[in-house]
Amino acid sequence: MASKFMDPHDVETIPGTEGWERMYPYHYQFSREDPLRAEHESSQLWYYDGLHYPEPHPPFDLLWDEAWFLALSQNNTRTFLVPPAKGIEHRIVNGYVFITPIGIADPKEIEARVPVFMKRAGYYYDNWDTLYVEWEARMKGLLNELEAVSFRPLPEIEDESMVFEKRGTSSGYHLMNQYDHLIGMGFKCWQYHFEMLNLCYAAFLTFTNTVDQIFPNTPMGTVTKMVSGIDAMIMRPNAELIKLAKLAIENDVDQVILKPLNAAGCMKELEKTTPGKYWLSELEKARYPWFHISTGTGWYHHDASWNDNLDIPFDAIRMHIKALKAGKVIDRPTERLVEERDKLVEEYRGLIQTEEDREAFDQTLSIARRVFPYAENHIFYVENWFHSVFWNKMRQVADILHGVGFIEDKEDIWYLKRGEIREALWDHVTSWATGIRPRGSSYWPREIAWRKGVMEKFKQWTPPPALGVPPEVVTEPFSIMLWGITTDVLKKWLQGVEAAAGGGETDELLGAPGSSGVVEGPARVIRSVEVLAELQEGEILVATTTSPSWAPAFTKIKGAVTDVGGSMCHAAIICREYALPTVVGTGRATSFIKTGDLIRIDGDSGVVKILKRA
Amino acid sequence: MFNDRREQVLLTADHKAHVDLGEVTMTEKEKSIILWYDELEGKDFNLVGKKNANLGEMIRAGIRTSPGFALTIYANDLFITSMGIKSALENYLKDLGRVTYENSLKASAFAVNLIEEASVPSIITDELFREYQKLCDLAGVENVPVATRSSGAISMPGQMETFLNIRGQEDLLHYIKKTWASAYFVEAITYRMNKGLGFILNIGVGVPKMVNSRVSGIVFTLNPLNGDRSKISVDVSYGLGEAVVSGLVTPDNFLVDKVTLEPIRSKLGEKEVQCVYEETGSTIKTVNVPQEARSRLSIDKEELKEICRISKAIDRYYGKPYDIEFAIDADLSFPENVIILQVRPESVWSKKEIKPKIEKKKDAMDRVINQLITGVRLK
Repeated sequence: MASKFMDPHDVETIPGTEGWERMYPYHYQFSREDPLRAEHESSQLWYYDGLHYPEPHPPFDLLWDEAWFLALSQNNTRTFLVPPAKGIEHRIVNGYVFITPIGIADPKEIEARVPVFMKRAGYYYDNWDTLYVEWEARMKGLLNELEAVSFRPLPEIEDESMVFEKRGTSSGYHLMNQYDHLIGMGFKCWQYHFEMLNLCYAAFLTFTNTVDQIFPNTPMGTVTKMVSGIDAMIMRPNAELIKLAKLAIENDVDQVILKPLNAAGCMKELEKTTPGKYWLSELEKARYPWFHISTGTGWYHHDASWNDNLDIPFDAIRMHIKALKAGKVIDRPTERLVEERDKLVEEYRGLIQTEEDREAFDQTLSIARRVFPYAENHIFYVENWFHSVFWNKMRQVADILHGVGFIEDKEDIWYLKRGEIREALWDHVTSWATGIRPRGSSYWPREIAWRKGVMEKFKQWTPPPALGVPPEVVTEPFSIMLWGITTDVLKKWLQGVEAAAGGGETDELLGAPGSSGVVEGPARVIRSVEVLAELQEGEILVATTTSPSWAPAFTKIKGAVTDVGGSMCHAAIICREYALPTVVGTGRATSFIKTGDLIRIDGDSGVVKILKRA
Repeated sequence: MFNDRREQVLLTADHKAHVDLGEVTMTEKEKSIILWYDELEGKDFNLVGKKNANLGEMIRAGIRTSPGFALTIYANDLFITSMGIKSALENYLKDLGRVTYENSLKASAFAVNLIEEASVPSIITDELFREYQKLCDLAGVENVPVATRSSGAISMPGQMETFLNIRGQEDLLHYIKKTWASAYFVEAITYRMNKGLGFILNIGVGVPKMVNSRVSGIVFTLNPLNGDRSKISVDVSYGLGEAVVSGLVTPDNFLVDKVTLEPIRSKLGEKEVQCVYEETGSTIKTVNVPQEARSRLSIDKEELKEICRISKAIDRYYGKPYDIEFAIDADLSFPENVIILQVRPESVWSKKEIKPKIEKKKDAMDRVINQLITGVRLK
């Protein structure tokens, strides 16, 4: 078997995209200019971050990648001094983000970091609950601040308050300032996101490894079940839909909702009656904040939230109404889940043979449970709530640039880097100030047209799962938890490299166990939430990755397979909830499997087998 | 005639059944001639004997054995009383004076002959044949093969008989009498003599269905490779258990999570051959397994789960890891077809000294640090 992947410097530029590098920050490029940096780049294992990014990056959208590049790394390296791990480095290749964990090799250096880590991380672990409450308050404060931002076209002449109230700062200045503030809040949100997360994963990883030592080969899904909270925020949006479905039946408005209308048409009908109006008022209550849930990962501008596209939650409510009327129980069985979780822990604990091991189990379980709500809830605050609102604030900026002809379509704004938008706004503001034609209207449309072509070519390209040289030890908690980077995964990827080179085709894919069980059924490859309705009862969902907002679909399917993700990724968590066999992190399920193929997935071994091609 | 055959059902659990001496009038249950295993519990040992009562207790604990019923001790008494055997024996003993080692052989022959030659009253045979028919119906097999097993209210280890592969009413009645008679074998009489017990002994007779093993195998209620008690290991192959026990075949192997009963690993075995009974039912032969059956797992997920569920119940019942023989009966339907044949305590890991798997640490924080420093090694 191959022992390493392609050198990151050797990846070829796709013909017709020459010059693509200018769409992204210069420091995101692999480069041989500096021999020392190039040597480092060649010696690392870089894996494609398909968990967050199933598609190539529109230039603007890279800001969240920049945000976590900074936040995660600074916390490991400079704030908490995680003894052996410095963070995660990022690069971009043909529009796809590759990342690599940076470890510390020198034992002396690691040792020197321990006391600082003990003191700082210890403070967080000891005061976790209080700090989490304070964190939530800070996060909500930031969300309020974000809501308050708004962008309006610049006035022909300034309001007279500029003079008589001695405002002193112009609308142009204010526009620039607001934009900087918006971007600044985006980064701040991600500073918060990582404030507690790495410590959180470190504690959880300690527990999973403890279980693995006492009970080797225990499925990861089972271990996660022992610590997971039952009332995670990410489950709430779907719970709200179920509530609304029940409310519709109780108030006799279900027939209106079941009519083949879109959300707007449906709401218009509901406005006509008192119970309908009542239902709409309850809908409004549920929308903020719960409909800020994203239909994608939340990382891309096109990941619309339910609030952006009410047809999606309306479809889901319809699905729930039909299920309820068919006598199905669709509530999340929280009581049963709590019972199961406690029984699981009690049984495993009862099987431990020594006092020492029992103490290790108890201590690590307790710390893992303490930190877990944060792991579960931060995603709703950041990737869903904050991002959903943020994208729409950016659309107000797009309105302004569209108004002055810098971009032909409002959605073209995403083809600009965040810094380029700042430059464009400056172009606009100064031309507004002087009354002279800006350059933007002649410069940007041409550049954007070219970038669109490049993006199309990027989409046709399949990024390799990894580049460079696999390490002996992975110490970075995120790499293991989220991306599921383990020996087996790397081995499987290397096999893939080999198979691709040899042109050999197999009927099997290997991923990581996500949720236990074996199931057979027809596959359906779903690439975006808009086509989720195509899923038929009893099919196996095949997706790059899934978002919590896909939850309503999980009542229909038999199992799921994803390209990316570890045992903690959303698809794995939610499938365990619904007791659906799941394989995650297969690397290439969506390209390997075609809709209609009969497949068998084994959520225990991680094997996906094509039984019959469609 | 079938003594060369291995006894199929060997549940040898000792029970702390309580003895109830207070009752004078007989209850409905006490007057029963036949009680099915699943109607019994441990404290019924004075009605049907210990082995039978234990089987009932097992079933109550969720440990399924081959279906069947017991002729009660009362039925034995009814037989010897109503056929004049009891008074004949009492008169014989009076004439003999007392039973000694010298005359035990003669006494044994007298009693055995008396019982084997007597006819059985219809009050017993009517019920026996009716219940036997029910067992045939359950299996969907005419004259379903059964065993008869003696079962005394007091322990007399291994001194009484078991007869295998009995088919049809006539055969059944014949061997039930032989089983009753076995209580008067010389070894049994001298054992009672040594213990200062009476000469006359009524026993229960168990009549379990002979297991028609579609597949059979061995379970360890731990991982035999590392002693991990949170796992169950299952080896299973086609036919009788001999093939697996003697290592004649590489069986399918499963590693199952004992807590969740979910499979963790499945390994397809070669399973080239299987052991089956000859047509006459008396000896075992080895035959080839068809290629199609070799290339797939010999049991499905539901059957595996049921085997593990029962094995876990046994582990819990005894409070320690067990080594279990099981079979899946081709005549019965799921889940009644998953049958436990034999259980014994696991002997390898149970003898080893148990060492902690995790280093002692000051506190949880210390453990997190240690985890971070160690990382996860890529093997």
